[in-house]
Amino acid sequence: MSNTVTRIRLAAVAAAAGVVVLAGCSSPAPSSDASAASCEPAKGKVTLQYWNTVPGMDKVVALWNKKNPDIQVQMKNISNDQYGTIGNALKAGKAPELAQVGYDELPFLRTQNAFVDASACSAATAAKSAFVPWTWSQASFGGTGVFAFPQDTGPMALYVRSDIFKKHGLDIPKTWDDYAADAQKLHKADPGLSITFFDPNNAEAFNGLLWQNSAQMYQYSGDKWHVSVASDQSKQVADYWQKLIDAKLVRTDLAHGSTQMYTAYQKDQIASYVGAAWGYSMFRDNLPDQAGKWSIVPMPTWGSNPASGDWGGSTVAFMKGNKHLYESVKFNSWLNTDPEALALENKLGGLYPAATAGSKLPALSQGVPYYNNEKIFDVFADSSKNIDTDFSWGPTQKTVNLSLQDAMAKATAGKGTLDDALSAAQATALKSMKDQAIPATAGK
Amino acid sequence: MTDIAPRATRVVESTGGRRRHRGGGPRARTIAAFLTPFFLPFVLFYLVPVGYALWQSFLVVRRTGGQYGTSYTTFGGFEQYTKVFQNDEFWSSIGRIGLFGVVQVPVMLFVALIMALLLDTPLLKVKSFFRITAFMPYAVPGVIAAIMWSYLYSPQISPLVDGLKGVGLHPDFLGPGAVLWSAANVSTWLWTGYNMLIMFSALQSIPQELYEAAKLDGASNWKIAWQIKVPIIAPSIILTTVFSIIGTLQLYAEPAVLRQISSNISSTYTPNMLAYAVASGNNYQQAAAISVVIAVITFVLSFGFMRLTSKKAGL
Repeated sequence: MSNTVTRIRLAAVAAAAGVVVLAGCSSPAPSSDASAASCEPAKGKVTLQYWNTVPGMDKVVALWNKKNPDIQVQMKNISNDQYGTIGNALKAGKAPELAQVGYDELPFLRTQNAFVDASACSAATAAKSAFVPWTWSQASFGGTGVFAFPQDTGPMALYVRSDIFKKHGLDIPKTWDDYAADAQKLHKADPGLSITFFDPNNAEAFNGLLWQNSAQMYQYSGDKWHVSVASDQSKQVADYWQKLIDAKLVRTDLAHGSTQMYTAYQKDQIASYVGAAWGYSMFRDNLPDQAGKWSIVPMPTWGSNPASGDWGGSTVAFMKGNKHLYESVKFNSWLNTDPEALALENKLGGLYPAATAGSKLPALSQGVPYYNNEKIFDVFADSSKNIDTDFSWGPTQKTVNLSLQDAMAKATAGKGTLDDALSAAQATALKSMKDQAIPATAGK
Repeated sequence: MTDIAPRATRVVESTGGRRRHRGGGPRARTIAAFLTPFFLPFVLFYLVPVGYALWQSFLVVRRTGGQYGTSYTTFGGFEQYTKVFQNDEFWSSIGRIGLFGVVQVPVMLFVALIMALLLDTPLLKVKSFFRITAFMPYAVPGVIAAIMWSYLYSPQISPLVDGLKGVGLHPDFLGPGAVLWSAANVSTWLWTGYNMLIMFSALQSIPQELYEAAKLDGASNWKIAWQIKVPIIAPSIILTTVFSIIGTLQLYAEPAVLRQISSNISSTYTPNMLAYAVASGNNYQQAAAISVVIAVITFVLSFGFMRLTSKKAGL
């Protein structure tokens, strides 16, 4: 027995040693990014792989497959660990032709050379005019390349429980100051009732709030990234929510989208929700009893000018190794601009289309029964117009978000402030870029 | 008394008697044929990933210029390891896990031992029923167990919290001071039955004559339990402790699930969670270095414990 063990140990040591030697020999071999891809149509039948996270997308793909026997699409749902799955596939050189990527993760994947430039296809460059400008700008990294087609956006708005507002004589808040005043009134009238909740584990939602206040977190100039996560605009937002948290006017014990969150809404403990367009189906599907009680109004603003933020939304990206660019562009265009596809995605997946024509879809210009037949998508269309188009994401956003969340959790636990969380995120942004050998510096 | 244990192991050894059959061509081939199903997956799924992780841990990312540039990896020596050792989050996760282990492991093994001893007494009827019930949690996957407990801990929906409120208690299972122990409770619930079964099996192999002799000498059930049974099954207790040390350092599922509902668990709460968070940020090389350091610490602690105890117990 012991002999075998020794032999295994020796083998392990030998293997390890070999590996180290190999590592020593590995020479830098940069692979060229976005090499001139060709856009030739394939001769025969083509099968594309498409990974996404949208509920009901299988039905949309089935519709395409029925109409296009020569370009078949195989779909895989990767909701479970979206970027882990994509990252591992990239590392293994087995990425699909198309994959869903959120706007905030586009630069992150770009630094991993994850995409192929589809601008060789004239249909791809021509698609630009079909999309809301800021979405196109983020998907093309502000350049002439076409790395992804925008799919949906998350223009933000305020969801209001009209019945609770009415009962307590609250006005619909126009500014964040109004909103804080409403929060105070509500808390005075009933300590068990909160205006909303602040989920410290949700950097995406917080980033949406920062975006609304024109917080320019990352800029690229002079061969460097300039990181200003903890800017004055960001701090204004952080201080505001910190005050609400300190005064216990907002709940901090609910994770977004959790059973606990829905239970709190179900029990009439929370009177509003600061959310994005895709949230409309969330309340409809999870709180059917509250039909008719909800209204959607513009997000409160910092000044008198309308301003909105974006929370979530994503693109369908052309992934590295794509050998059927022509067909991929064809499918991707249909998926994100065809009225029938967009209507189905809105109905099943709750997507708010990034295509400019999206807001004119019959399905999106009608009243929504759950929301008292209000034309809620008009609110989102307005919101969409008021989104700061200059906002850009950092190349290590995922790591920054995790750090922000950890520090926001400390703040809600009373060990620090949201201001500290911004500072922590700023430090992490710089450190993580250094780890990835991306030149970065603090400030503008 | 103390020389009983070695004798018991010697008995097991002498039944083997494989020595006589050593050597010989066809026999060696037969042995190889039987061993291949073990070694092939062992090499593929153990040695190769370990080697790959080691290799990755010595690499660093470099980049050609530009806004996004093109990245490539190159040999960086111990650069990743230096970063691990300088990472405060790594050390605080190790400290947290240490605290967890120092409390959870003894509690769990003590409960397991008591349960095994109770099962082994002639006083207890319907043994198989209790054995199965105690073992049942082990059949539940760790993630499912954590999800189940997270419902019980959650103040908004938990019948347990509601019930405790009914008797005037207001527990906060997910609070900053409590959440580590809430996670420990899930681990204990999951693994006590498993450890109990190992100890119980060891108890079952003790020859009955020993007890008869002890009884003739006038030993009470209590004395038999603590002075005969426990020393004899010491090797199993050590074994379960080593398993538990390894398990503690690998802790991931319970805190990761509880993190969904508690803001008091950070993304770097345990060393494994830190490694995962770093890997998900595309820093595979740093994650590999963290994993290697965790593995080395696990190795040192578990083998250290084994050496220490086996010397003391004279095994």
